[in-house]
Amino acid sequence: MVAFVTQFVQTLIYGLIEGSVISVGAVGLTLSYGVTRFINFAYGEFLTYGAYLALFLSGAGLGLSLPLPVATIVAVLVVGAFGVGVSRVFFEPLSDRGPLPLLITSIGVAFILRYALTAAVGVSAKQLPVPLMRPVEVFGVGTTPLRAAVFLVAIATMLLIHVLLTYTMLGKTMRATSGNRNLAEIAGIDTDGVVRRTWFISAGAGALAGVLYAVLFAPFRPTVGFEYLIVIFAATLLGGIGRPYGAMIGAIIVGVAMNLGTTYLSAEYTMAYAFAILVGVLLFKPDGIAGGEI
Amino acid sequence: MGVFTPTALLSLPGWGSFLLTVLTIAGIYSLLTLGLNIHYGYTGLINFGHVAFFAAGAYTAALLTVPPPAQVSGAEYVFGLNLPMPLGLPISLVAAAVVGGLLATLIGATSVRLGSHYLAVATFALAGIFGSVLENEAWLTNGSFGLNSVPKPGRAAMSADTWAVAYFVFVVVVLVVVAFVLSRLTGSPFGRLLKGVRESEDAAQMLGKNTIRVKLTSFAIGGAVAGLAGGLYAHYVGSVVVQQFVPAVTFTVWAALLLGGVASNTGAVFGAFLLVGFRESTRFLTNIYDSLLASLPTVAADALRLAVEPLPDHASFVPSLRFVVIGLLIVLVIRYRPEGVFGDPNEIDAIGEED
Repeated sequence: MVAFVTQFVQTLIYGLIEGSVISVGAVGLTLSYGVTRFINFAYGEFLTYGAYLALFLSGAGLGLSLPLPVATIVAVLVVGAFGVGVSRVFFEPLSDRGPLPLLITSIGVAFILRYALTAAVGVSAKQLPVPLMRPVEVFGVGTTPLRAAVFLVAIATMLLIHVLLTYTMLGKTMRATSGNRNLAEIAGIDTDGVVRRTWFISAGAGALAGVLYAVLFAPFRPTVGFEYLIVIFAATLLGGIGRPYGAMIGAIIVGVAMNLGTTYLSAEYTMAYAFAILVGVLLFKPDGIAGGEI
Repeated sequence: MGVFTPTALLSLPGWGSFLLTVLTIAGIYSLLTLGLNIHYGYTGLINFGHVAFFAAGAYTAALLTVPPPAQVSGAEYVFGLNLPMPLGLPISLVAAAVVGGLLATLIGATSVRLGSHYLAVATFALAGIFGSVLENEAWLTNGSFGLNSVPKPGRAAMSADTWAVAYFVFVVVVLVVVAFVLSRLTGSPFGRLLKGVRESEDAAQMLGKNTIRVKLTSFAIGGAVAGLAGGLYAHYVGSVVVQQFVPAVTFTVWAALLLGGVASNTGAVFGAFLLVGFRESTRFLTNIYDSLLASLPTVAADALRLAVEPLPDHASFVPSLRFVVIGLLIVLVIRYRPEGVFGDPNEIDAIGEED
């Protein structure tokens, strides 16, 4: 009995930690959906680029060895700016053509980004320079300080996004643009600027999620983001697309469910639990728990 | 990567047999593209999980015809029906098409009600689930080792080259028949109904059409064609392994369809041949490079070597660039020529204007 409770609580903890990482990515994806109105299949590549950039900056390849936190911040900023560039080059020229061309284009963009990176660095698995740590345990459950740090960074990011959306002018204009772009424009909001800043935040959040994921589940390959994309989709749609707070809750549910499933059902189907949640949401409540915007 | 490659054939001498391989694979991909064209081109359904129907057909054909596990060393799967070849071939291919169509109906039933974005995500996710089932349920699929003794019908009776020619002819015949049936279908009242749903689902509903049913039927037809392609593929390559059925297959077919021309069966076949031709021919870039180095005068060879030296030196460099090109192709076609080479601009105007 004690062993069962210990294992259950431990699984919940891992689920919460993974869920917090998913939430960073899911919020990023959902924010950009809010203003651009298409599901970006290239979003996973921002995770990949974040992880690889942090890797290069913190020790491999470029002759730099920044501390990982610094490398992460630089990676988030660079990938954020890169996201703005990607939207300028690939998506903005199509913005008046409806959602389908954008959706299909995002698949093309995903291929370009992923395989350009693969061509440059190869498919061998890489690992961020993180120390091996002994878990800190209380009553037989616990986690490593590193995983705890990942959780705290993710939670801090959520709080930051909450403050941004609720208290800053940018956040208010983002919500206004997401709610009704034409109305926002008439009200004098520079919606193009809002869209650009949203891309920055969205891609930056993706990069951060990529680094956190790489810390949790080293080693990784150039396909890491694309493979994790479905998990992020599941969280995003569960929360109701376009709803940042819904995405946070959805991410925690998906993270916990994946870990429970892996522990108690079958360890081979980790991703499939996220798929199953996704399909369940689509079947029974396609607008998600917070009432999505489609 | 590692999507296809019937290496058993590449070991044959000469460009002729290589060309034949490319053309045969292109024929099979043409069927895949024709199937997707029914979904997206004619009905406006975004299917990002097409590879699942292909895989379903391939595994069905394999399971019907591989020898029982007792005859194969290291087998984990529990049954193989060992249908005799070539008489079992029609059964195997029909079953592949039926299972492809059934899987498509099943996946469609969960998601054709949804808007196009949700449908895209749902098909993508369901294909992912299907892929992980194939990988993990080793009792059925032999897991990641795959089923490697799929019979090549008639192979025992002829030489390798003759068989390659015969199978190519067979694929072409199947392709022609399927293309003919599909063009009759899309030209029929039912075809206009599909297009009607594509142009305006609301209008079709107003006219009393059961649009959900129409979309499901469309899904089933396209899935069955993809399943048939899977069966042909399994008997051609002689093995089915999960690594052959990755999302990259789905999006290669998408690139072929977009390039050839949405809602054009000619375009679908053209696009598939072009895409597969491109994909296969770039396999030889490194060989060409090596033979250039050997044949050029020393000065020119050194210059070439210098020019190439800064490029990354690993095995996935050229295969990766191939997918970069496929991605670029999707982006460029959508932006500059959304109707593709053979498509009609008026046909695609209405796709996606669902709101």
